[in-house]
Order: sequence, then C-alpha cells, then structure tokens
Amino acid sequence: MTDFIKNPVVPLPDRMPDPVVAKDDLFFTEDEKKQIATWVSRYPTADGAVMRVLWLAQEKFGFLPPEAVQLVADTLDMPYAKVYGVATFYTQYFKEKKGTYVFDVCTCFSCQMCGGYDMLHYLEDKLSIHAGDTTEDGLFTVQEAECLGACGSAPMLQVTNGPYVHNLTREKIDALIDALREGNMPQFESVTLPQDENELGGNRRTDVARTTTYTTPPVSETVK
Amino acid sequence: MPKITIDNRTIEVEDGVTLLQSCLDEDLEIPHFCYHPAMTAPANCRQCLVEVGMPRVDRETRERVMDEDGNPVIDFMPKLQTSCSMKVADGMVVRSHRTSELVKRAQKDNLEFLLINHPLDCPICDQAGNCPLQNQTYKYGPEGSRFEFRKVAKPKNIELGPRVVLDGERCINCTRCTRFTQEISGSHQLTIIERGVRNYPMTPPGVVFDEPYSMNVIDICPVGALTSKDHRFKARIWEMSQTPSISTTNAKGSNCVYHVKDNLVLNITTRTNMGVNEFWLADEDRLDYKKFNENRPDGPTVRGQARDWDAAWTEAATLLSGVDGARIQFLGSAHATTEDNYLLSRLAAHVGADTPSYIPHIEEGHGDGWLRTDDRAPNSQGCERLGFFPVDADVLKSRLSAGEIDVLYVMEDDPVGTGVCALSDLEGVKIILHHYHSTNATLPAASVALPAAMAVETVGTFVNCDGHAQRLRPAKAIRGVNRTLAMEVGKSRADLHGTPFDRWYTESNMVDCEPGWVSIPAIAERVGLNLSYKGPRAIMAELSDSNPAFQGATYDAMGEWGFRLDVVGQSEPHPQTA
Amino acid sequence: MASKAGDWRNYERVLLPPVKDLHRLDVFENHGGYDALRQALTTEKWNPSSVTEEVKKSGLRGRGGAGFPTGLKWTFMPPANPDIPRFICCNADESEPGTFKDRQVMEYNPHRIFEGMILAGYAMTIKTAYLYVRGEYADWITHMERELEKAYAKGYVGKNIMGSDFSMDIVIHKGAGAYICGEESSLMNSLEGKRAYPRIKPPFPAQKGIWNYPTTINNVETFAHVPLILSRGADWFSSIGAPSSPGPVLYGISGHVNRPGVYEYPSGMLISDLIDHVAGGMRGGKKLKAVVPGGSSVPVLRADMIDGVAMDPDSLREAGSMLGTAGMLVMDEDTDMVSFLRRITRFYHHESCGQCTPCREGTGWLENIVTRIDEGEGNMKDLDLLIDLCSQMEGRTVCALADAAAWPVRHTITRFREEFEAKCRPSLVATHVESAAV
Repeated sequence: MTDFIKNPVVPLPDRMPDPVVAKDDLFFTEDEKKQIATWVSRYPTADGAVMRVLWLAQEKFGFLPPEAVQLVADTLDMPYAKVYGVATFYTQYFKEKKGTYVFDVCTCFSCQMCGGYDMLHYLEDKLSIHAGDTTEDGLFTVQEAECLGACGSAPMLQVTNGPYVHNLTREKIDALIDALREGNMPQFESVTLPQDENELGGNRRTDVARTTTYTTPPVSETVK
Repeated sequence: MPKITIDNRTIEVEDGVTLLQSCLDEDLEIPHFCYHPAMTAPANCRQCLVEVGMPRVDRETRERVMDEDGNPVIDFMPKLQTSCSMKVADGMVVRSHRTSELVKRAQKDNLEFLLINHPLDCPICDQAGNCPLQNQTYKYGPEGSRFEFRKVAKPKNIELGPRVVLDGERCINCTRCTRFTQEISGSHQLTIIERGVRNYPMTPPGVVFDEPYSMNVIDICPVGALTSKDHRFKARIWEMSQTPSISTTNAKGSNCVYHVKDNLVLNITTRTNMGVNEFWLADEDRLDYKKFNENRPDGPTVRGQARDWDAAWTEAATLLSGVDGARIQFLGSAHATTEDNYLLSRLAAHVGADTPSYIPHIEEGHGDGWLRTDDRAPNSQGCERLGFFPVDADVLKSRLSAGEIDVLYVMEDDPVGTGVCALSDLEGVKIILHHYHSTNATLPAASVALPAAMAVETVGTFVNCDGHAQRLRPAKAIRGVNRTLAMEVGKSRADLHGTPFDRWYTESNMVDCEPGWVSIPAIAERVGLNLSYKGPRAIMAELSDSNPAFQGATYDAMGEWGFRLDVVGQSEPHPQTA
Repeated sequence: MASKAGDWRNYERVLLPPVKDLHRLDVFENHGGYDALRQALTTEKWNPSSVTEEVKKSGLRGRGGAGFPTGLKWTFMPPANPDIPRFICCNADESEPGTFKDRQVMEYNPHRIFEGMILAGYAMTIKTAYLYVRGEYADWITHMERELEKAYAKGYVGKNIMGSDFSMDIVIHKGAGAYICGEESSLMNSLEGKRAYPRIKPPFPAQKGIWNYPTTINNVETFAHVPLILSRGADWFSSIGAPSSPGPVLYGISGHVNRPGVYEYPSGMLISDLIDHVAGGMRGGKKLKAVVPGGSSVPVLRADMIDGVAMDPDSLREAGSMLGTAGMLVMDEDTDMVSFLRRITRFYHHESCGQCTPCREGTGWLENIVTRIDEGEGNMKDLDLLIDLCSQMEGRTVCALADAAAWPVRHTITRFREEFEAKCRPSLVATHVESAAV
C-alpha cells in the first residue's frame, strides 16, 4: 500500500482538565432549584429556560466550566451537547476563568468616534495587559466589546456583565479601578435625557443614587 | 401532481417535496452541500440557489394572466431562492445554472467563499476524489481565489471518537453531522460550537463521539472534515473498485459497498436502500472487513495434509457413502448463502440424513431495533425458510457422546469455536468442514477441510431478519472461480470506477477456496446425486418456484434492492432438536 | 424637501412625558397609565378587532429597523384557536450599533411597554408574551422585573386583568450577548434555548413562530406607542410628523455633537435640524462630514447629501439611505472614514452567526481587506474587490445580516472613495506614469 506521510492523529484534547468546581459544590441548592422550576414553568418546554439557568450557573461558579454546563443540561434534562453549543454561541457566557472584574470596553463605532479605543488602551496600559487578558492577580480582565447600546454616553464600559460606566475619562477609570480594588462595584448610573434637563431640570428619577448627563463627547486620539 | 418547468423543460413532480429533491429525482443536478433527504434542510450552505418564478394571478378572477402569445406571465422572485427549502407548486418556473447567468454566478461566488478558509489540501485528503466540494468546485467554481489572507486556524487531526477523525479547517459548516446525531441517531453527541467563522462541529468537553453509528457522519460529510480513523491514508478512492453488496455482520443485511484493491477489502461504506437501511450503516458493519483478508486458508486438506480439490471432494464423498444416513449430522450455516444451504439439504436428503440444522449466532442485548440485531449472522432467515432449525447444543452433545453420530458435515461455521461442542466431543467422529479461516477451532478435528468462499467472493442470497431477500455480489476474486468466465460473477462486478489500480487478476491475494455451489455439487456427483446447476441464479430460480417460503425471489426480482418475501408462520418445533 | 415634523420646537413629549419618576407604577397610574388598557378591556367601544383596526389606521410602523406596518403585521396572525398557543414577543435585544433608545424607554417608562404588550395580546388573543432583553442590559432587566412584579400585584398583568376575562403573562427573557438575536427568527430560536441561528422564511412567525406556534414580534418602542394610539386615537397619531411613517420617534443621536442623547420628536425631522438645533450643533464648531441615520447597517450619507433630508423612510430612500432604527451617528471633518468602516466590518465579522456561507466567510474577508487598506497595505484593486464581495453577499443568505454587513461597505467606499484611494498603495500603473513624467 502506498505510504503517505501520516499526519499523526491526536486524541481529543483534554478539555476536561481537573474540574474547577469540586464535585461536592456542583449542585443547585433547593432555593435555586425552586427558582429554576419557576423559570421552566414560563416556557412551553424546559429548553426555554436554558439561558437563565446558564446565567445562574455563571453567577454561582464565576464562569462556565464544562461540569457546570453539564449540570445545567442535567437539571433541565437537555442534551449536554446542545447546552454546550448554546453556551459557546453567546459572548457573555465565560467559558474560561476571567478576572473578578471584567471590563467590557465598548469600541463599536459610536464609541470609536468618541475615544473608546483611547479608554481601552489606557486600561491596557494601566493594568499592563492586552485586551482579552487577565491581570496576574486575577482581579481584572479587559475585553473589547461590541455595541453595548449606550452610544450617547460614549465612551463607556460595562463591569462584569453588570453596571454600565458612562462618559468614560481617564480619571473616571482611575477612580473605578480604585473602588473595585476595595470591592466596591459601581452603582447604577442613570443617564439624564437632554429634554428632561430642559423641562424637569435634571434626571426624572428620584430613586437612583447616581446620575450623569449626555455630554459632549471627547475628541478621540486614536480611532483604530 | 403539480407541473413545474425547469430550464424550459416541464416535468410532473410529486406534491409537497422540495424543489431540489424533485430536480435530483429527475437527474437534474443542482449543486448542494447541506441538504440531505433524510434530515431537515437548514439551507445554510447557500449553494443550491436558483431563480424561481410563479405565474401571475389576476387578483379578481383568480386566473392566470396570459401574455400576447397565450403563455402565462411569470413573476420571478426578486432574490435567488434555495431550492432545498422551496416547496414545489404548480406552474412554478425555475432557472438553474443551465439557463441563468445569475445563478451560475451565484454558485461560483458561493464556492469562492466556501474555499477561502478551506485548506485546499486535497492531495493529502482522504475525501479527494469522492468529495462534493472538490467535484462541484471543478464544475461550478471559480478558477482561482482572490483571498490573500491567513486562513482561520481550527483544530486538526482530532480524534472525535474511536472511529472518527475531525479536521476543523476543512469543515464548511453544513451541519449534516450534528443534524445526524440530533435527528437520526439521537445520540446528541455533536454540536456546532463557537460562532461565526470560528465555528466547527465538536463534542462537548468530556464526551467521546463513540455512538455505534458514528461513522455515518463520514459518509454524509461533504468535505474531508470527518474521516475514518481506520481507513485514513490507506488508499485513494479511485484505487479501489467498488462493489455494491450487503453487509454480513448481523441479520439486518444493511446494504453496503465493498472497496477492494488487489483482492483485499479495504473499506466498507453504506449503500442507500430505502427498504432496508435507508442511508445508514452501523459502525460494526463498516469495520468488519478484515475478516475477508486475514487468516484465510490455502487450499483443501485431508486429515491435515494439503491435497488437491479433486482428492478432497472424493474423500468427503467416501466418508458420506460409507455410513448409514441416520448417523450423519448435517449442519447448515447462517453465514452461508441460501443457495448453498439448499444444495446441502438436497445432499443430506440424498444420503438419507435428517434436514440440516444450523448454529444460531445470537448475542442477547446486541440489537438496538435499528440496524443492529441480536442475531450476529446474516442468513438465519434463509436457513429457517429452508426448514432448518437452530441446533440444540445439549442434544447434539448427548448424541455425540452416545456415539450416535459417525459423520458431522459442517457448512461454513465453527461448532467448536461457537461452543456448540468441544473438540473432545468430536473424538472418533469424521468431520467434513467448509471453513473460512485457518483459525477455525473445529479445523484440528476435521477429516476433510474445504476452504469456502466468503460473502464478498461468491454469488448468492441472504434473507434478512425482516424477510428481505438480497443478492450478494463478488467484490474480490478467488482462485477457484475465474471471474470473467463465470457469467454471474463477471456481470455482477459493477465497478464504479473501473479502476486500473485494482489489480484483481494478480494471484498474490487470491484465496484458494471454492464457493459452496461448486464444492457441494462436486461431492454430490461423487455420491451419485446430480446437483449441477448453471450457477446460483438457476438454484434460486428453482427454489423460488418450488418452495413457497422463497416464492418470487428470483435474481431478477431481487435486483439491486432486494425482494420482500412473504411472511411465513413459526414452524413446529423440530422433532430431533426439541 | 422640508421638515415634515411641523412645529417641532413646541412638541410635547408623549412617549417619555416630562413627569418625575414615571417609571414607578403609582406615578404612572396618576398620569393615565393603564387607562388605555382599562378602556380596551372594560368598555363596549373596544374589542380585539377594533384595537387592531385602530393601530392599523394610525399608520404606526415598526421601530426596530425594518419599518413594517404594525397593524398589518397583527392581522397576519391566524384566527385564534384555544388549542393552539400563540405568543407575543417584544424585541428588546437592542444591539444595532448607534441605537440606544429602547433602553431609555425601559428605564423611564417600563409600564408603557407592558401596557402596549398587553393591548397587543388582547388584540390578537394571546396569553403569553416574552420580553427578550439583551443580556448586557442586566440592570434594566432587574429594574423591569421589579416593576413587572408590581404590575402583577395590581392586576394589570396576569389572570383576569382588571376584572375582565382576559389573562396574559409577561415573561422577561435575558439574552447573553449576540447581535443576531435582534433578528426576529434567531430571537425565536434563542428563546427556545437553541443556538440563535436565523430561520428560513417562509414560514413567517405569524404561521410558525416560537415553538412553531403563531407569534408576533414587535420592537419596544413600537409597543410603547400602542396605548397612546388607543387613548388619543389613530387620527391624532397619524397627524404627527411625516404622513408615510407618522408618530413620535425616539431619535438617538451620538457622535460628534454637543449634546448627544435620546430625543423624542415627531417623525420626519430634518437631519440638519437634529444636528444643529436638537443636539446642540457640531462638537467644537467642526464641520460635518458624514451621518449614519439609522444604525450601523444603513448607508452612510455625506454632509452634502443631507440638505433637506428628513428622517422618514421616503425622504431617506431618495437621499440614498434608510431610516433603520433612527439611531443617528454624526461624524465631523476629522473622522477617518476608512477606520470607521474598518470598525463596522469588524463588528459584523464578530457577530455573524456562521450559519450561511456568504456571511460567515464574507464578513471576515471584508474586515481583512478594509484592515489592510487602513494600515496602508491595500491596493487600488481591493476597492473593487470589496464592492464585488458585497454583491456576492447581498440577498444570498437566510437573514439580512449579510446585507447589513455589505451595505456600509458598498456605500462608504462609493461615497468616500477618495479617502480609501488615498490610503491604498499607488497602483503600479500610476507609478509608471509618474516616473515617466519625470
């Protein structure tokens, strides 16, 4: 038989290294199960609740290691492969361990025009990492994000799939990082409608701790 | 039945089918990758685009609007449509690449896109020569590529499971494989992961793609992304001749193609038969080819000594004629063809012996209700329909120990190896053995050992568990039969490639064996029974005439797709074995 | 062409009226909240078909980007059959770059969305509605869930709403980061717990939607208009702004203007009015260079193309663009259009779901070429190749993402070709001529 150069076949890479979540911790509590049952009851089939339950697992375990995806699949009685396919499709599900605080810096076109990349590069320099990486102390991850729907208050970022930080400046980033090092997540910030400023003299909501206004965007230094 | 017009040709098509399928049914090629008739159509490869128009209907009268020449006015849809997702409708007018420059251009554009991230490593790809992407690119694709960037890197040469190897870069994301595990086999072991240009099929972490039907994804993969770990780099497709036949691993009789080079079976792939296995073939059927190549005997032996065929047949005849028929036990075989078993029963009747029994090969729990059965032999039904009963090992053993059997005639099976009896039980018994392998455990006790042709070397009929009679076709040559001279053999050898690479005429890998329909008449002749037929075709013709259990099952009736026999009732328990 | 917005300077906001704490249920109630719903459910005047008729008559067109007439869409639903479930879905997966208006409605007037959804449910006899919110809007999801709970407690949502025999549930569904989920059919797949691949149409959602049941999908802003149409009448609504696409519009203005933000004004505002008078003019007194009128997918307009162009579908089509989501990006004279396009192609490359060949492969290729040009490594022929690739992608995929990715490329290059040529390496021919001249 003709002897071709034989590319060695490599076994399936070990994508199940030592489980990150210990076996004893790999479960949903009774309360969580009750919550899941409520979610499931809202859809014609349990599959509809899979995104919510993946969110729950991510909040519980910090990210979605394979065993957590498996747990979600088992809980909802769905094929594991299907849940894994879903988990890898969406960008907000973390498939690997990230920093305690993940900065999603929007650089999509409105933010790009208004200095989104300046802010991203400032963060990179400040934390001495590249976008996509995590600091050595495991505290911060910096990511470049697509449009987060806050184009009027550009540049902006989102902290760990949670609060938005609007109208970013270098000072604001410094303060944010200092606060996060102390463990203080930024609070919800309400952006005042320009017409409200004229007609109501400020933000219409009296129940929010922090407000900001749409301001003249900064001049971007780098656009790429 | 709706009438549609494709490229100025009007045809009648079945209602409710897709446009692509009706074109394929009419042998009108429309290039495509993701569509598979057994699965849902996601229309994601975008290769089967065509122009589709419908007759204009007057809003008020609900009648078709005619032009000056009396032909219906056709309104074409503004966008090209995927023919795989488009249902046919009466009056539909279709322009394919044969008549539309627009469609031609679209197909070319699409192939350019498909190829930009495809590695184009056809020279080292197992799929080359049998690759829809390669074929369609040659036919419809662009001459070169305008892509001047680094291709997307994905995992290569990854073992997805014990039998399937993945090359992520070759994948064109048609999702046939994942749909197979979701919709056909139901194993749900594969999914597309990631998003956009980075996505490819994969198992979730910790899962091995090991379902018993995993290798079907190799067949349906339209590129070389999924290849057989076993067959990798063994032979190019065009170096092997391909013979349509049936598999022998179990009683389902799934249709398959034997790939043979130099009289060695190198691969087994599926063959579509909607009446039996549809498009699919179990992994065990595919990997079961080594038995045709390895441990094959080299000519007949008498008491361990190599002899020529004439001497061996004469010796067998001598053994049979010297004994009272009641003291001869015939064992037919669920591995042998119906024709050979029939000849054996004729021989048994002639020497005054009982109807042969056969050794059942049942493995409880192996079957899955789909293409694998508990019965691990291909022709138990054929034996049953001939009136053979499964041998009862206890009865046989007690008869042997009581000295009631002088001669044991075993057709193409292995009583010792299967545990029906032990070598020690056979002391003092004369044994005539037709055998496939030199490892046959009964062989040491055999007085006359006659190497037999296996399913890939003979002509004959197997009846599957559902009563479907199907023909075997010889895929490789043996020393005993000159393939080009024996009419049946020569005609049935339907090489798809007619490849000059398969040197079947060289002696090197030819096994020195004889099919049952040669050996048994030769022995019969020597005991005074004329069993000479013009080959197995004539045997089956006689059987289909004379035995109601085989009514109508002539070779012509069986043809390519087999013949469904009438159901026969459960027969009475055998007086001897009960 | 002139403004179709009439006396917009004296326009009084109705979608986000100037009321403190309108997001709170009690305040909302005091300002006419849920009145339209009460009217519809408890008075003789209204029945499901008359609600649909009123919406149809109002001329309301979808505010999610495609601009399909809302009332007409509702009539596509098959007749109600108690044995077959049917659904409403509110598309709050606002992820078109440059669009941020729906988030403001969710923040400042969530009950208006709920009210609109229930009215739509009443009109189409639907018992369950899903509110699909993009996962990034986590804070707004929490906020809306709180408000929804209050609405449930007050009997505005749930069983026997306001004592009538109409019941409907609203379920808030949290996405997880995928632009494609804004496409209605992939949104349905996402809701069903699948990878969010768009579906082939037909069948349309009204025939086979979520879990293959009849479904109607509308945008947040679209639903928020419905209570107003009922309480103030279709005639009132259709008298606002541009007749072809009437009603109040939330304009999201971002980019190089002095006062970006979300503004509520009648439809058909002049682009120039929006920039100069609403958003406070160009930042730093710079000159306008280009405007993207309705989200990243719509063709960019040069400054000299916006004279007299109003924000309504017809006017923008004449000008060579589209209304889209009315999320407007304004760019001043310093903007580098090549890197602007580079970022857009990057976005579509990242967000293509990977299902269809032309989009999966084409979006990446586009980004590769534009990046090369932006980095000064491009050739003149690359520009023609880009246009060619756009033609190869447009109209050849299951959903419109490929078109949305191709349009900005095609139009930015044709409308700013000199900028692209300036960044490309001079062609061999040109070099030759030059040296010959010397």
